[in-house]
Amino acid sequence: MMTAIQGFLGPWWTLAWTLAKILVIVLPLMGAVAYLTLAERKIIGYMQVRIGPNRVGIKGILQPLADAGKLLFKEIIIPAKSNKYLFLLAPVLSIAPALAAWAVVPFSPELVLSNVDASLLFVMAITSMGVYGVIVAGWASNSKYAFLGAMRSAAQIVSYELAMGFALVGVLMAAQSLNLVEIVQGQEGGFWNWYFIPLFPLFVVYIVAGVAETNRAPFDVAEGESEIVAGFHVEYSGMAFAVFFLAEYANMILIAMLTSLMFLGGWDAPFHAAPFTWVPGFVWLAAKVSFVLLLFLWFRATFPRYRYDQIMRLGWKVFIPLTLAWLMVVGAAMQTPYGYLFH
Amino acid sequence: MERIISLFKSLLLIELLKGMSITGRHFFSRKITVQFPEERTPMSPRFRGLHAQRRYPNGEERCIACKLCEAVCPALAITIESEERADGTRRTSRYDIDLYKCIFCGFCEEACPVDAIVETRFIDYHGEVRGDLVQTKEMLLATGDRLEAQIAADRAADAKYR
Amino acid sequence: MAQIEIDGKALTVADGGTIMDAAEAAGIYIPRFCYHKKLSIAANCRMCLVEVEKAPKPLPACATPVTDGMKVFTHSVKAVQAQKDVMEFLLINHPLDCPICDQGGECQLQDIAVGYGGVGSRYAEEKRVVVNKDFGPLIGGDMTRCIQCTRCVRFGQEIAGQMELGMVNRGEHSEITTFLSRGVGSELSGNTIDLCPVGALTSKPFRYKARGWELTRRAAIAPHDGLGSHLSLHVKQNKVLRVVPRENEALNECWLSDRDRFSYEGLYAEDRLTRPMVKQGGKWRECEWHEALQYAIDGLKQVKGEFGADAVGALAAPTSTLEELFLLQKLARAFGSDNVDFRLRQSDFRADGKLAGIPWLGMPVAVLSELNAALVVGSTLRKDHPLLAQRLRQAVKRGGQLNIIHAADDDLLCPVANKLIAAPGGLVNALAQVAKAVAEAKGASLPAGIDLSAVAVSEAARAMAASLLAGEKKAVLLGNLAQHHPRAAELHALAQAVADLAGAALGFLGEAANSVGGYLAGAVPHAGFNAASMLAQPRKAYLLLGVEPELDAYDPQQAVAALSGAFVVALSAYKGTAEAYADVLLPVAPFAETSGTFVNTQGDVQSFAAATKPLGETRPAWKVLRVLGNLLDLADFDYESSEAVRAEALEGMDVASRLGNRLSGVAVTDAAVGGGLQRVGEVPIYQGDALVRRAPALHGTMDGASPKAWLSGALMDKMGVKEGEMVILRQGAGEARLEAARDDRLPVDAVRVAAAHPLTAALGGMMDPIQVEKAS
Repeated sequence: MMTAIQGFLGPWWTLAWTLAKILVIVLPLMGAVAYLTLAERKIIGYMQVRIGPNRVGIKGILQPLADAGKLLFKEIIIPAKSNKYLFLLAPVLSIAPALAAWAVVPFSPELVLSNVDASLLFVMAITSMGVYGVIVAGWASNSKYAFLGAMRSAAQIVSYELAMGFALVGVLMAAQSLNLVEIVQGQEGGFWNWYFIPLFPLFVVYIVAGVAETNRAPFDVAEGESEIVAGFHVEYSGMAFAVFFLAEYANMILIAMLTSLMFLGGWDAPFHAAPFTWVPGFVWLAAKVSFVLLLFLWFRATFPRYRYDQIMRLGWKVFIPLTLAWLMVVGAAMQTPYGYLFH
Repeated sequence: MERIISLFKSLLLIELLKGMSITGRHFFSRKITVQFPEERTPMSPRFRGLHAQRRYPNGEERCIACKLCEAVCPALAITIESEERADGTRRTSRYDIDLYKCIFCGFCEEACPVDAIVETRFIDYHGEVRGDLVQTKEMLLATGDRLEAQIAADRAADAKYR
Repeated sequence: MAQIEIDGKALTVADGGTIMDAAEAAGIYIPRFCYHKKLSIAANCRMCLVEVEKAPKPLPACATPVTDGMKVFTHSVKAVQAQKDVMEFLLINHPLDCPICDQGGECQLQDIAVGYGGVGSRYAEEKRVVVNKDFGPLIGGDMTRCIQCTRCVRFGQEIAGQMELGMVNRGEHSEITTFLSRGVGSELSGNTIDLCPVGALTSKPFRYKARGWELTRRAAIAPHDGLGSHLSLHVKQNKVLRVVPRENEALNECWLSDRDRFSYEGLYAEDRLTRPMVKQGGKWRECEWHEALQYAIDGLKQVKGEFGADAVGALAAPTSTLEELFLLQKLARAFGSDNVDFRLRQSDFRADGKLAGIPWLGMPVAVLSELNAALVVGSTLRKDHPLLAQRLRQAVKRGGQLNIIHAADDDLLCPVANKLIAAPGGLVNALAQVAKAVAEAKGASLPAGIDLSAVAVSEAARAMAASLLAGEKKAVLLGNLAQHHPRAAELHALAQAVADLAGAALGFLGEAANSVGGYLAGAVPHAGFNAASMLAQPRKAYLLLGVEPELDAYDPQQAVAALSGAFVVALSAYKGTAEAYADVLLPVAPFAETSGTFVNTQGDVQSFAAATKPLGETRPAWKVLRVLGNLLDLADFDYESSEAVRAEALEGMDVASRLGNRLSGVAVTDAAVGGGLQRVGEVPIYQGDALVRRAPALHGTMDGASPKAWLSGALMDKMGVKEGEMVILRQGAGEARLEAARDDRLPVDAVRVAAAHPLTAALGGMMDPIQVEKAS
């Protein structure tokens, strides 16, 4: 059948096939984003001794659909003195990198849209682009609060980008590859082989920096409801707002995915013994992503928002020295006979 | 030494983990949510909800337009106009409570010498157009007529503490 | 002088004073109910008990004279206990109905109970109940609340001159009542409301309207008689709800006439004009201001173009403010017409141009109560000037002699030494007799121009002359009737002669709030037509300011006839009957809604601010006149405030030096008056101006009753008319049907028919001949 379609489309086949593959990744991703919002509300609710949304569908299961429906039908208000084109471009700039990074993310050794050798580099390059959406949104809104939010967001992302990059340098040193599939394969053989053990400080730094990169609590000063209303997206409404929302959650899932791939062994089962091997690798991956996402939500339920200067201090004066130091340790150790501990 | 300990503590994220353990524990605790329209929390007889004006058992309105509630109202939510009714008694020709202004402090109820203005336990009211929440005398009396049994029971329950 | 000590404070006080006086002067408050500084001492409430050293029992501060070395304690244990006990007694029978009592919140009993009373009552028995009395339409009574302080009784006896309220029975059964349920008819009765320390006597029109704490107090000046009493208007939600006096020893003391107190009701009369109206094609319709103003100036310009500016006349009510009168005359003169006047009820203008100044009281008001002798000519004193009459009553009480020349022998509620009663036509003769008698008694001759050789002097006139010659402080006062009299100038000249010869002051009892102010503002013609000639020789256009011609003019027949043929621009607060004769109605703000100035009869320039916003589309008249000036392209009509108008009106003017009653060059002959009946047409107390005419409560009083044809018994017998029968009164072409009523205090050739009333508006001049016949 495939060949029939291939014959029918002719030269367009490559494009169609690629689009189909993209859809196969993006649509479930959007579903995951939707249900991540429900999970967030439910989990944070539970942690606050509430039960969260429970009116739409059984136990609130249809709540994300209701939210989406509501946002779809809301008017997109464009502020009078804003830069209209940039204002509408910003959400696109925001969500495009969040989705593009998924191109190189492997779901199993075979299941990857594009298995490039420098996929780690690609991921780092693409995720860094997300900040443009935020800055453009803040600038185009022509609003003090939005602009303040954008500035904060940009400064914060730039700061944590460094720490995050250093953490990944540790991973690529350990894996001796930039290819995500190979990085996962480098960890195979049970949880004691996963990189989060030898690279534990980098793992912690990566998770925290990931939280900061996605502007999530406790690093959500860019939104800071209590000070700058909603930060960069204060002027956005309806679907334009929803797109920012999607981007934020897609980014969260991406960070969780990368964490799982680089530190938690990807699709590798923790034990290569009877009951664990029955479970397919994809499920293990999903479980690990879910766990990291749970951490994200858990943080939000637990920690109060950092002060802006504290965020900067943490990024520059703690994380960067810490990652550099650990890179030294890893690098030095790799020159010793005990180097096997790190890869 | 202490500084080193605290450095290690912060490096090991002890405080953060403690916090997360608390929220983690709460995650599994019994939820106290009350499903509002179907379930309600218990209310005191002193609850201060929607206002009502009461009548005497013979149907005569209690309010005598003394204007003490208007005078005591800290939010200036009450507007009263008084007149001599045809039978020579002192009555209000207008008694408005602006619920947009009202802060439900209950002073009007305290000031009333004839227990005419009361705050009921009723809280499920709403306005559909602007101005809907300005309660006129007719609305207040209607509320009073509707809830008189409960109002009377609540006053009786609270009487021994006064 | 006595050295005393109150609460340890050493004081030097005059002998003969009481402890209360001393404490008042020292600023020490002693609680009291029955004590009032203007009333006699009763000492029956016992609230002012204080401890006096060496006295075995507490003594009432209001009735205890001070003695040298006295030591008084107002807050000692004994005094406080006594006050507390008195309070408990007072509250035994006082109902606890404060929530429905109008006095609640401004009640002396409440205040003193809080300050000096106990916490609870030991009295569990039934309280007494007193049946309510009917005190008329002004005073509401709830006599169960009475604490028997008898202030109201003493007020009636001592100030109002009439004991209309009294206390009957004893002890617990004592109660305040009217004389055989006759009600209260005094024109000062409203003061009992202020005097009552509790809610027993309250204002009926104000009943249950508002609480004291809701009312904003705004100072004002009374807009009726020439006294210019100081008022406090109590305003709530942009509405005047009641009026109380502001204390002013020089004018109204702490009193107020009922007219000043209750006329505010007229502000909200049904026929208040709230939108401009124009008559087009014989039909009235409401319109916008600019349209009405344009219509008015178009009409005025057309008349000016066709007939010249002299065909335009401006008439103002004497209750208009100084600013309004000034702008009206400025407008008229700038427009080219000198026909401007405010003296609508005056009929004799011979004095114009011969007066040295502005007619005024001739002395400060306060002097009235100290006069040794007074001759009041042609004044319905009690009704026209309630508080001036009260002043004269005080003078009589102190031994002064009151002499009256009037057209009716009215009861002045005080002894009258001598009186000459004659029909209006005979008043000149009566005053001439006195003048001649004074001249003869002094051996002096009368001034040139006064030839009284034919006058026969009666005994009463001689007695009057003697009384006027005897005293220290003396005054000859001309009342409203004398001012409206067809021979007013001669009366003036004679009164001046009497005053000069007897060494007395000559004064006019100011008719209206701004009778002096009208002259000051220049609202009198220099060479043009005056009020009477303007109506006698009809103009083509009239500008009316607050005038209701059928009620405000000396001769309503003439006034209505003159106006109905002309283009009339009426600036008025009320519709009245203006639709019948006017062409444009411009709603202007009455008293209380406009700022302005009244100049009272003693020459005080009293300005006031507006107490409320003008009703509806109404605008203050000074603004309307200013805009009319602008639209007529007249120069210097750019006033921004009424203060600016006043400043220009009074610029460089010493008001006191402008006042003066001296008249020269009026010849007096005692021309015999023709026979026949004459009308005594006074303005009833509650018909004087547009505002008071519309105050419903006042019209329910005895003084507000609709007019009757009062005839002396002899005349009734002669005509065969019985009391209660209808008679037809005729003056010129107009007639009125009124009920005949008997009043033997009238001369036989006079019929007393009130003027300024819708029922008599068809008649002619207020003091002209009249025919009476029995209605078939």
